Amino acid sequence: MNINDLEDKALWLRQELWEMAMRQKKGHIPSSYSCADIVTALYYGGVLNYKAGDPDYADRDRVIVSKGHAAMVLYPVLADLGYFPADELKRFTEPGGLLGMYADFRIPGIEGISGSLGHGLGMGAGFALAARQDGHDYRTFVILGDGECYEGSIWESAMFSAHHKLDNLVAIVDRNELCILGRTEDLVALGDLEDKWRSFGWNAISIDGHDFAEIGDAFAKLDKLDGRPLAIIANTVKGKGVSFMEGRSEWHNRMPSDEQMNTARGELGLAAVQGGEA
Amino acid sequence: MDMMARPQLQRDAVIETIVAAARKDKDILFISADLGAAALDSFREDFPDQFIHAGIAEQNMVDLASGLALSGKKVFLYAMAPFITARCYEQVKCVIASMNLPVTLIAVGVGLGYDHATLTHFTPEDIACMRALNGIEVLTPSDANSAAAIAQACIDDPKFRYIRLERQPLAALYHSGFDAALKDGFGHLTAGSRVAIVACGYLTHNALAAADALRDSGIEAGVIDLVRVKPLDGAKLTELFAGYDAVLTVEEQLLEGGMGSALAEALIDAADGRRAVVPIKRLGLRDGFEVVNGDRGELHRLYGIGTDQIITAAEHLAEALPA
Repeated sequence: MNINDLEDKALWLRQELWEMAMRQKKGHIPSSYSCADIVTALYYGGVLNYKAGDPDYADRDRVIVSKGHAAMVLYPVLADLGYFPADELKRFTEPGGLLGMYADFRIPGIEGISGSLGHGLGMGAGFALAARQDGHDYRTFVILGDGECYEGSIWESAMFSAHHKLDNLVAIVDRNELCILGRTEDLVALGDLEDKWRSFGWNAISIDGHDFAEIGDAFAKLDKLDGRPLAIIANTVKGKGVSFMEGRSEWHNRMPSDEQMNTARGELGLAAVQGGEA
Repeated sequence: MDMMARPQLQRDAVIETIVAAARKDKDILFISADLGAAALDSFREDFPDQFIHAGIAEQNMVDLASGLALSGKKVFLYAMAPFITARCYEQVKCVIASMNLPVTLIAVGVGLGYDHATLTHFTPEDIACMRALNGIEVLTPSDANSAAAIAQACIDDPKFRYIRLERQPLAALYHSGFDAALKDGFGHLTAGSRVAIVACGYLTHNALAAADALRDSGIEAGVIDLVRVKPLDGAKLTELFAGYDAVLTVEEQLLEGGMGSALAEALIDAADGRRAVVPIKRLGLRDGFEVVNGDRGELHRLYGIGTDQIITAAEHLAEALPA
């Protein structure tokens, strides 16, 4: 896909996520929207190796949304790849449905459980190490929250991965600068994350996480890796795509009013509806 | 001490068993958080791909294990008991238990094994916290032979298990018959009729010494080595204790949630609302226990779980019971 197509696809993803969340009044929209462009680039920008319709394809690249509260960002994509029926999106969080708030490893296309922060990078290192031992070429991509980088386990895993030269492992830090109670730099400063990852022995690059040209350039670095895992610090806006949510921590898991609902629908290119619900 | 006479350490028995299997199966991975063993040295040299040093970083060790296990690896994690349990408990809960992955957690020095290291190295709560994990099997060998047999079971039928190893060498108890003990979850080491003393690991040896002394003074005490504290077969244990007048449990754990607690729960549940089969007295660490310098035996006396105190408690039980 070219950049225009990717932008269209990203809008489609945000639309799908909006309908999923608002139908049930559940989900983490702002956290999903901040990494929606990255996810779009991964799946539709020619980055990932996968086989549509076959979630168990042995050489598929592995994706872990380690910031598990945003796992829903993958659901429309996984349905689009034919991993499960699209009707499941309408049953998001419903009893008997496949898709829950957090990543459940039983969902086709979800590689492992997430929800509690700080586990995905170590799990991803396990995938990457196993791939090397078994002679597989697949890569492992782990989407981390920047708030998640407070967890000490992330840095244990970062150290381990660099030591083992896991250049088949990519960490993408969704640097939206927000956690539930405010801005990371005001709460406990994370500082220069690119510098931190580099000091742990990783290749590191900072990009605009909503700019498909920059995202594409970052992933292009995967073709010339040098024994170091790659950290992409994606500077993003939490809630990107819905003006009143953008950059505002209070929307982490709050649901909009009916009026706000239609404002958002307008910005997302969705038709207004009575009561704001589809 | 004559080195030849010293019994094999449980950790060496376990590692030798795993190494023998790893020679034939490259999917077996052994990961240590900086804990060694004599048997580990050659393994590290001979199988650099199958031995992984995790660093002193138990959180990553467990998360890493999840990714490896999801990729089809048979993973054994190895660390000092306090650090492979409470230290990384949330990791074990979230990425091993939640997906019921076939990962074996091997702890060395359970209970008061690191006697002089005191509280940070004690695990008076490891049974309570680990048995609370969904889907886990919890096993305590009481000699090197049973440790090796448990390791073999982990290789033959990989599942989510927690193996509690004693730090010190223990005299051999099982020369045969451990298969049945592993199947039932307990070994009925000494038959009796009055008081059944239930212990596991290190304290099984104290229980045997106590039972000998009790029989000398006319009290027919039996000894049950509770190899598997989870899951427990309540029906089978009920049947076993039907042959006794009372049960005395002894453990290096806080009574809250420990081995005796698990046993009592299993008997209550097996009774399903009826009166449980047998009176139970528990010995173990009590809330508010004091931490002092001292060797294992001194700690046992302080906490009321020494051999003499087991004998006294059994005598009191026998006195209170109808002859």
